[in-house]
Amino acid sequence: MASNAAVPFWRAAGMTYITYSNLCANLVRNCLKEPRRTEALTREKVHFSVSKWVDGKPEKPTIRSDTPEE
Amino acid sequence: MAMAALRREGRRFATPLMSANPANTLRSSLLPSEEQAILGVRSISTQVVRNRMRSVRNIQKITKAMKMVAASKLRAIQTRTENSRGLWQPFTALLGDLPSVDVKKTVVVTVSSDKGLCGGINSTSVKISRALHKLNSGPEKEAKYVVLGEKAKAQLVRDSKKHIELSMTELQKNPLNYTQVSVLADDILKNVEFDALRLVFNKFHSVVSFMPTTATVLSPEVVEREAESGGKLGDLDLYEIEGAETKGEVLQNLAEFQFSCVLFNAVLENACSEQGARMSAMDSSSRNAGEMLDRLTLAYNRTRQASITTELIEIISGASALTG
Repeated sequence: MASNAAVPFWRAAGMTYITYSNLCANLVRNCLKEPRRTEALTREKVHFSVSKWVDGKPEKPTIRSDTPEE
Repeated sequence: MAMAALRREGRRFATPLMSANPANTLRSSLLPSEEQAILGVRSISTQVVRNRMRSVRNIQKITKAMKMVAASKLRAIQTRTENSRGLWQPFTALLGDLPSVDVKKTVVVTVSSDKGLCGGINSTSVKISRALHKLNSGPEKEAKYVVLGEKAKAQLVRDSKKHIELSMTELQKNPLNYTQVSVLADDILKNVEFDALRLVFNKFHSVVSFMPTTATVLSPEVVEREAESGGKLGDLDLYEIEGAETKGEVLQNLAEFQFSCVLFNAVLENACSEQGARMSAMDSSSRNAGEMLDRLTLAYNRTRQASITTELIEIISGASALTG
């Protein structure tokens, strides 16, 4: 137990383990050779819309997306 | 005089045929044509039935096409679902799935579809979520909803919109993948406070059967508490932790990763059940359309035959009246 005091650097930056592991996974994907690289990168597309609810009313949804809206 | 009697005869011929028809909708659409006949048109108009037959045939075509689409989508998604089951199984072996755990803050994550026409999968998962919500809310406990998909949102808004914390839609614009679901899981983790997350989804068994399922993900504090109190999670202390991390950190990482994996599987299972349910729903609706078409064709042919017979009788009796 060398660094008992400090939390991992990524958690200190406000990331969760999921974000961290996603970043790492993306790094690995970028290390692939073509054509597998683009294949792997196009496979993992993010698109959904989130809306928070306050007092029983939905707020304006925010869209999380890699691909720009057509 | 004789002609008028015959005409009445012909009408009496047709009327029992119409009213004997079992389809209510059919009868209602045919009633106007019967009235028309009373107003002095000699034969019953078959226009209405023909139009209806055409529309039923078109609907049948659409449902058949939707069934095909669902079948091909199902095949693609089924293998992915079955592969994704390997993701949560180790977690259940390690951290357990404790549906009966008693905690203060519960978040019910209801997984549903964005599109309809897929049988009862969305209402079953909403029903289960409501039950879980009721079970986990009380004077000292509170439960919130996180809703995935348009359909469960529409159903939950009606009676428990006060308890909805987050809603997420448009999940299936791209084929489902882990990155997307993990970003989603991340958003849920950041935006809600929980002691236990209860995911409600339809687990895919086969094309015609899916089970409403709940999976429970505990927050690291609760995992630790449960591990200390022994029970199923008591074995957790037997594991050695390597590296510089403390047990709390490891548990937190694990809980987060577990949630994203379980959610990934849940979303896939639900999408798979959705396609299966849509397939069987569309199958039965095209079969129903076929049956309806058969009945309509029968009614149509009978009416046509009846009017032909009437006309023949009129002609023959007219001719015999002239010669006789």
